[in-house]
Amino acid sequence: MKDLKHLIYFENLLQDAQNELVTQAINEGKHALGYNCYYVPETLLNLPGCFSSRLRAPRCLSSDIANYYMTTRTCPYVRSILERAIEGGYSYLEALFGCECCAAMERMEIHFDLLHPVKNDKFFLTFFDPPMKGDKTNLDYYKVGLKNAVVDPLAQRGIDVSEEAMRAAIADHNEISRIITEIGNFRKLPNPPITGYEFHVIQLVSQVCPHYLIKPYLEETLEEIKTREPEEKFPFRARVMLAGSEIDDPEFTKLIESCGAMVVADRYCFGSFPSREQIEILDGETAFDAICRHYLHTNQCARFMDGMKIDQRHNEVKRLATEFKADGVIYENMKFCEFWSYEKVLANHIFTNEMNIPCCTIEKEYTLGAVGQLRTRFQAFIEALEIKNIQGGK
Amino acid sequence: MKVTDKLIASIDKKLERFDPIWRAEHGQGGQRSRYYDKTGVAKYREWRGTKDTLYDYSQWLKNLYSMGKMIVNAPIPCLKGFWEYRWMGSYLGTFMFIDRLYEGFRGYELRVAHMNTHAIVKSLTERIALILSNDKRLGGGPRSDDFLPFDEVLPALFLKGFKELIPFPHQTLPEFIICDVDQHIEPYYIDVAESFGLPADVCSRCAAETGVAIDDAFPIVGKAFLSTNMPCNASESTSMFQRRRIALPDFPVTLAMRHNEPEAKPYSTQMLKDAIAFIEKEYNVKYDWDELFKYAKLMNEQNTIELEKWDFLKTEHSALCGIAETLYRLYSWASVNGSDPYFNKVDRKVIKLMRKAYEEKYKPFGGRTRHRAFLWGPSAVYYTDFPTWVQNCWGINIVLNMDSTMGYNMINTEDPEQAIKDLAAFSEKATMRHHAVGGWDNYNAVWDWAKNFNCDMVLMNDNIACKGTLGLHAVMEEQARELGFHFIFVEHDLEDSRTVSRQDMRKCVNNYMSVVLGEEPLDPTIVEFDDSDAY
Repeated sequence: MKDLKHLIYFENLLQDAQNELVTQAINEGKHALGYNCYYVPETLLNLPGCFSSRLRAPRCLSSDIANYYMTTRTCPYVRSILERAIEGGYSYLEALFGCECCAAMERMEIHFDLLHPVKNDKFFLTFFDPPMKGDKTNLDYYKVGLKNAVVDPLAQRGIDVSEEAMRAAIADHNEISRIITEIGNFRKLPNPPITGYEFHVIQLVSQVCPHYLIKPYLEETLEEIKTREPEEKFPFRARVMLAGSEIDDPEFTKLIESCGAMVVADRYCFGSFPSREQIEILDGETAFDAICRHYLHTNQCARFMDGMKIDQRHNEVKRLATEFKADGVIYENMKFCEFWSYEKVLANHIFTNEMNIPCCTIEKEYTLGAVGQLRTRFQAFIEALEIKNIQGGK
Repeated sequence: MKVTDKLIASIDKKLERFDPIWRAEHGQGGQRSRYYDKTGVAKYREWRGTKDTLYDYSQWLKNLYSMGKMIVNAPIPCLKGFWEYRWMGSYLGTFMFIDRLYEGFRGYELRVAHMNTHAIVKSLTERIALILSNDKRLGGGPRSDDFLPFDEVLPALFLKGFKELIPFPHQTLPEFIICDVDQHIEPYYIDVAESFGLPADVCSRCAAETGVAIDDAFPIVGKAFLSTNMPCNASESTSMFQRRRIALPDFPVTLAMRHNEPEAKPYSTQMLKDAIAFIEKEYNVKYDWDELFKYAKLMNEQNTIELEKWDFLKTEHSALCGIAETLYRLYSWASVNGSDPYFNKVDRKVIKLMRKAYEEKYKPFGGRTRHRAFLWGPSAVYYTDFPTWVQNCWGINIVLNMDSTMGYNMINTEDPEQAIKDLAAFSEKATMRHHAVGGWDNYNAVWDWAKNFNCDMVLMNDNIACKGTLGLHAVMEEQARELGFHFIFVEHDLEDSRTVSRQDMRKCVNNYMSVVLGEEPLDPTIVEFDDSDAY
């Protein structure tokens, strides 16, 4: 396929947390608001005058100083973020909205207060307690938490948090989500005009760049893909869905695809499922209520404990695998992640034995090192999928 | 001096050379000299002087009586239990376990320790007989469906409002308490979980629970199950396995993690109400507030006494010491939680002894304590007698343990609406989670606790898989230096003695005491020894 016009530009935007579009937005007087977890609704951080910045630590090679603070036995994602913070990589932030979604995340975020790594006089840090069930009691709790930790602190700093502002943020979210979803839907085609790697890059830039600045590029890319000629023949040996915990490095997707399987669906933290669904405001509902309901409902985190959300988590993978015609699922977890370590084992059992979906489980580091072992695993899995296809799915 | 006292003093003088403390002081051996190498098998019982040895032996018989009673009350279920469950066999190590806990204890501290421990033995043996008699896996019993199994970390007091039901901590017998007794039992279940694909870097306690579930080693009782989000991430995750394997309708009682925030109380209150509604529906029973108040009064009395105990613990004249305090508080709070009047009886007796010891300006351990330490972080379950070892070896008295600070607010016993709010606040401060999660402030509270209890040292349990505590490793160490506390990280793997052995844990303390503080051990025979084959 012909290279996408903006792909290299997008790749470059992913090389630093403070990329050129982030800098441009700050220079234009916008407030940079940081977050790590899907529990913090991106939409609330894109109120007029603000833009969301989901924290990554691109090109992180080691986390030596963070290892001192958090030991080497905690999640490498959070250590990498802390390392980057200590290096001064997030000094553009005016806020970090933290939550106790997992112990490691909370401990990392509190270091933003203890060590003052963000050299920005306006910087502040807040926390809330994210719910673990999807029922009304927990939705109410979510609303109070977000109000106290996100909405009120923003209002105190002069940010417009009115109903109109919230509706504008939802409109912004829906617009960027529409573009990403349209691009992503091309992956459903038998011979898609886009690779999983390219989509991963596109999805990531939509999360780490100010929406109003990245949107024109995304729209142009969508138009380009509509008329893009795919390869003559589907160039991959299998189609897989990637599911699990945090992945913000498109090189990981590239690794899978280099082994011969196209990543057709992305259900992981930083992926488009969830994050790029439309937010609907129901009759009689405020925009804030709609945001809370939407993020609680679409959240697929492994920390949800109630049967309804656990089943939803597995059914969602099945739905996506079916819709995107995935031959199998690669289920990953970040090393030392308690939630996804358990979920990965449970999901593997359910997919393989109850849903009849071939599943390969792996554990990964944040930085993509020691790829040899992973490559072997992927190759073996892809071979197994191929054989299954040859045998007519048996 | 009475004639009997004179006689006893004369016997004690003659036999003092058999006392391991005397032997250690005179360079003729010590506590470890009594044992066969590598094991927990002693060649003879500890000589503690005539009175204390007889008292200790009488308590041994008392515990034996409780175990005998358990067998007599449910002979067939107990036999079936031994046949069905691997963990049942480990309870045979209970006597060795208790002997190990109280090595070096004399006088008041020995009496208080045995009173506390017998309450645990009595309660446990009754529970074992009760659940095995009704375990559906063993054929069931008349009250099988009246049981309400719940996650052991969920404080059960609020469940006492169901008069017809028997709230039962699900994991306590096969997983938690038994790991205290036998360091070799949980690795088997951990291996079961890891064979199923679970990574080895998750909390070993939760891995063990998962293994027990996969191995079908939980007794099956009741019609519904209450899980909880307490205390931590791994615990939440293992609940997902357990709910599938147990296959009963379940309700996760997810209390607020950040329990200091203003929004936490209304949420946790509502959560308890939701849980009550769930049980009413599943069991077709009605909640009885008067019944709850009856037990809340017991819990209030226990906590009132506990607060008085703390006043004595702040001094050097406390008859309640080390593991006798820690284990009792853990069991009586987390597992009994106001549901057994026998514990109130014991508390009343213990506090009387503590008052008496204080009036007499009694110093435990013959005044050989050199340091007063606060034990913080989740403790190694497979090395329950660690506090006893640090006292006997280095003269470090563990004054209080993090888990002893669990919910101590009083529960209203007249107004249901206020009572449920009080219960929410009480329940949020449960085992391992009052301080280990819910924000940095909770964990950092150690310095205030240590200061208030007049400690010069903090022993920080460094569970190698506890992400919440690992995430604050360096800042805790930096603060200890800044505030002038002696500070030792004691590395362990909670329930897996293979990863960090008991000797490895001892080494952490030995290194600090000998290298940093340059102190000599009280008993050189227990500085370094191999007890890897012991229960």
